[in-house]
Amino acid sequence: MTESTVILALVVITALGFDFTNGFHDTANAMATSIATNALRPKVAVALSGLLNLVGAFLSVEVALTVTNAVVKIQNSDGTPKESLTAHGGEALLIIVLAGLVGGIIWNLLTWLLGLPSSSSHALFGGLIGASIAGLGWAGVNWNGNGSKLDGVVGKVILPAIMSPVIAGVIAAVGTWLIYKVVTGVAQRFTDNGFRWGQIGSASLVSLAHGTNDAQKTMGVITLALIATGDWTDTKNIPFWVKVSCALAIALGTYLGGWRIIRTLGKGLVEIAPPQGMAAESASAAVILASSHLGFALSTTHVATGSILGSGVGKPGAQVRWRVAGRMISAWLITLPAAAIVGAVMWFIGDLVGGLGGAIVIFALLVAAAVYMYLRSRREPVGHHNVNDEWEDAPAQERVPASAGSAS
Amino acid sequence: MTDNLGFALEGAWKVLFAGLVLGAGLPLLFALGIRSLAWGAGGEAEVHESGVTGPKSQPIGTVVGWVLFAIVLLGIVLGITFIVASGFGKALSFEHIYPTIVDKH
Repeated sequence: MTESTVILALVVITALGFDFTNGFHDTANAMATSIATNALRPKVAVALSGLLNLVGAFLSVEVALTVTNAVVKIQNSDGTPKESLTAHGGEALLIIVLAGLVGGIIWNLLTWLLGLPSSSSHALFGGLIGASIAGLGWAGVNWNGNGSKLDGVVGKVILPAIMSPVIAGVIAAVGTWLIYKVVTGVAQRFTDNGFRWGQIGSASLVSLAHGTNDAQKTMGVITLALIATGDWTDTKNIPFWVKVSCALAIALGTYLGGWRIIRTLGKGLVEIAPPQGMAAESASAAVILASSHLGFALSTTHVATGSILGSGVGKPGAQVRWRVAGRMISAWLITLPAAAIVGAVMWFIGDLVGGLGGAIVIFALLVAAAVYMYLRSRREPVGHHNVNDEWEDAPAQERVPASAGSAS
Repeated sequence: MTDNLGFALEGAWKVLFAGLVLGAGLPLLFALGIRSLAWGAGGEAEVHESGVTGPKSQPIGTVVGWVLFAIVLLGIVLGITFIVASGFGKALSFEHIYPTIVDKH
């Protein structure tokens, strides 16, 4: 077994680890509203979403090999790695990819610990950008594309991140407003029951779309690493075991459920009623599908959050917790740079130690960080049992009715 | 930078339009379906003054309601077909009005 084979194994494990965090980070995008309105019991919701992610991952047979090309320059346009990076069994490329993945995972875990729905694709791209800057310099990043199509960090990451939540929010707000106009005069119990079904349907569609969109990013990264070491040569196909393991990793992650994030999205932003939930999920599904049809890359997380906010704006008299929304938006803004910094630091550490030792040190740092954050999360666990508890803003003001205090 | 902004805005309008039709239009039909069902069921399904019996049931409302749900369901089936088709390198084409699956260019 050569040195690069061991590094390759570490890259594959780390990539699957990223795919797993991607799954549990994003369960909320599809299922938070259905859980919040009791359309589905929490456990059933995550199981359904996990299953649909699994199915979705297998449906995405389109070659996703050029996934990194949007942001960094480590691949040629046909998907093969740059020749300059494939010397010594592709070690240079493997270290960049490994450092980038570690950056993405650490950021995903940290935002999960804080219960913030941040974008997994931004975390992955951020990590890769940071590692590429560290390893190749500023020119290693595809900032703007070549002007012939939507490309580069600006075109594929930053602009969609600004536009997609706004678009999704507008659609959800319009949908919610129309729904409430139409159903005035219908008894609430009657509408709630009906809309719960609509919600389940639309949330399932979001789960399926998520599986097809996100699992293939990891598939592409793993295949790229395999090509770099010479273990795979076909740039038109992805090895079957890669497809299976990525699909399983994202489905398992989804099933475990990022309860902290589900809680924030389902209860924290807006108090969601079934009609709003359905409007929000339909808007998310429509935006995700329409965008992927037009080749407009975007983050499921941004779309889902925008939709939920929109459903709060569209319902007359609904309360939107803008403070929670503000925290979330600031997390979005720093996701890319923060993951980039972690990715870059990891690359420097790996480079300093050098070779196999460097890769092992980075991997050990990742494991240590992951274990630490998991232990921290156990102090205040959030799970299927308390995901729907009342949301309390830091100081609970004006909650006590004046008469309640004096009565007893 | 400006090129990218142009491309993005161009795409954004299309996404907004398609999203409004599918993402707000289908829920609207669904809501109309619920409204018809309630009208069809009458009684407790509709808001009415307490103490008196609710409005009479209207069977036609039930029929219209289910027709509307069927349309919504058709929209969802199209959505799933779209995901599956694009996964296999195919695309949905609307050139014959009714959707057909064609090879992606």
